[in-house]
Amino acid sequence: MFDLKLLLLELGLALILARLLGYAFDRAKQPAVIGEILAGIILGPFVMGNLFGFDILSPSINSSVEAIAYIGIVLLLFLSGIETGIGELKNSGKKGLITSAFDVGIAFLFGYIVGGMMGYDFIHRIAIGNIFSATSVGITVRTLMEMDALHTNVGNLILTVAVLDDILGIVVLSVTLGKGSVEMLLLKVLIFFAIFIVILYGLYKFQKAKIKANIPRFVLTSALAFCFIFSALAMSLGLAAITGSFFAGLLLSVIPQRRRITEFLHQVGDVFFIPLFFVWVGASFDFSAIHGLGTLILYFIPMALLGKIIGCSIGAKITGFKSRDALAVGVGMMPRMEVALIVATTEMSMGIFAGAMAHQILASTILLVIISSLITPFALKLVYKPPAKESNATNA
Amino acid sequence: MQPANHADQQFIYPQIRFNFVELKLKEIHDKKIRDILDERAKINLPVIEKDASIQSLLTILAARDHVWAVDKKGSRKVVGVVTEKDMLRLLAPARLPKYVFGKKYGVSIEYGTATKTEDVMCKQLITCSPDDKVGDALQKMVNAGLRRLPVIDGDEIVGEITAHYIIQILLGKR
Repeated sequence: MFDLKLLLLELGLALILARLLGYAFDRAKQPAVIGEILAGIILGPFVMGNLFGFDILSPSINSSVEAIAYIGIVLLLFLSGIETGIGELKNSGKKGLITSAFDVGIAFLFGYIVGGMMGYDFIHRIAIGNIFSATSVGITVRTLMEMDALHTNVGNLILTVAVLDDILGIVVLSVTLGKGSVEMLLLKVLIFFAIFIVILYGLYKFQKAKIKANIPRFVLTSALAFCFIFSALAMSLGLAAITGSFFAGLLLSVIPQRRRITEFLHQVGDVFFIPLFFVWVGASFDFSAIHGLGTLILYFIPMALLGKIIGCSIGAKITGFKSRDALAVGVGMMPRMEVALIVATTEMSMGIFAGAMAHQILASTILLVIISSLITPFALKLVYKPPAKESNATNA
Repeated sequence: MQPANHADQQFIYPQIRFNFVELKLKEIHDKKIRDILDERAKINLPVIEKDASIQSLLTILAARDHVWAVDKKGSRKVVGVVTEKDMLRLLAPARLPKYVFGKKYGVSIEYGTATKTEDVMCKQLITCSPDDKVGDALQKMVNAGLRRLPVIDGDEIVGEITAHYIIQILLGKR
């Protein structure tokens, strides 16, 4: 039964603890997201529940937080799409495209191999491949800033590839995890992209139209509505909701109100929906799943890290980078954060991972997020010595 | 009615003045933008080419609170805008947001990734045309949270609407 009092208490505690721990991690030069996940672990059934019998944020008790968390995912990917922007893609250049293709391809393959080593089914192998393809370079950007190396060709390539990775990763996820036969799936993906192109064309035309009516906040409301409807459309075509929201974001990146929509989404998302997603992920973390991780964790984390290092390094080397710089690009692309967690939870929501396996995959992904974020700064400083500022190339 | 004495004049004068401004504002709202733009405003527009250095951009922004970026020297085709707010963000110590996407967050003067005007400008512009009514343009600015609107005729900038400009017209200074 819906319990409003419990929901309000959960939201209040989750928001404040997530903010405080997020800030503490930020001060410690670690990603705030890890603090938010930790808030979920603390408030969830496995710490507060076991210690004090204060069992909040448990999916069995109140599923409203789960619904809010999923809206958080949709908003986060919408924001990602609108901030990435179609315009950025045009400026990515050959080097970015080649490196990104190798990066996503090889990381995906390594995930598939891990699934094979564990004796998983075809669909589970693909699902792990998708988790491995994701990258979040926040920690790398922070490290490169510390090293005063963001402007170098290595920094530039990492920023470019990070943009392309999100898009390639979402496309690969849509194609590989869609429901139905291969022919039907291809047809659905084609329908989805046809709708995407028609709307894109419409938006370009729409900008030239003169609209006299001034409905206050109409643009913001309709942007949000568009995101939700486009996500629902993607789902009804058998694709993931995040595919819909990401591409809805890409579409709205072409309209002049982009900046205003982004600011609005940051206010709504950053303060309420998105932190609750990470808290919910933390609360879903099942400590008992760690016992069963055994060989999975032994393959999962090293292969996830190696997949990115090898994939990006090969891509960067092919595009003309020196071996050491190419390795630095690979190491810089190692961290997994928001997108990997979103992919894992999306796969759970699609029913691909269920039961004990779902808990193990989520636990492995959370550990991958924490470990990759902790080791990337050290590894990057170890392999990369930025050139003196005067002699730097500015274009990758 | 003529004021009877000095004290009365003090009392009545602000009221007359207020009515005058109120009437004039309504009149301005109904005017076309074309009718309130003057040649001086067009000449004084802050404009910079998009591939100009950050140094040149800062030189203009030292005196103005925004600058329109045009596609090349001598051109009037606007491709972006840099506002005081954008510069403030770039001048403050770089701080990453919680959730980082895309290339945008890598743009920084401090870390040497922003070298040209086009690296820092906002590329998508909300504009108005000389045939729009001033009232509609002002409403557009309020709705979109903007403090300036370029007036675009064809492809070229022919002026700009700012609160300052409207106040100057209102007080008869233009």
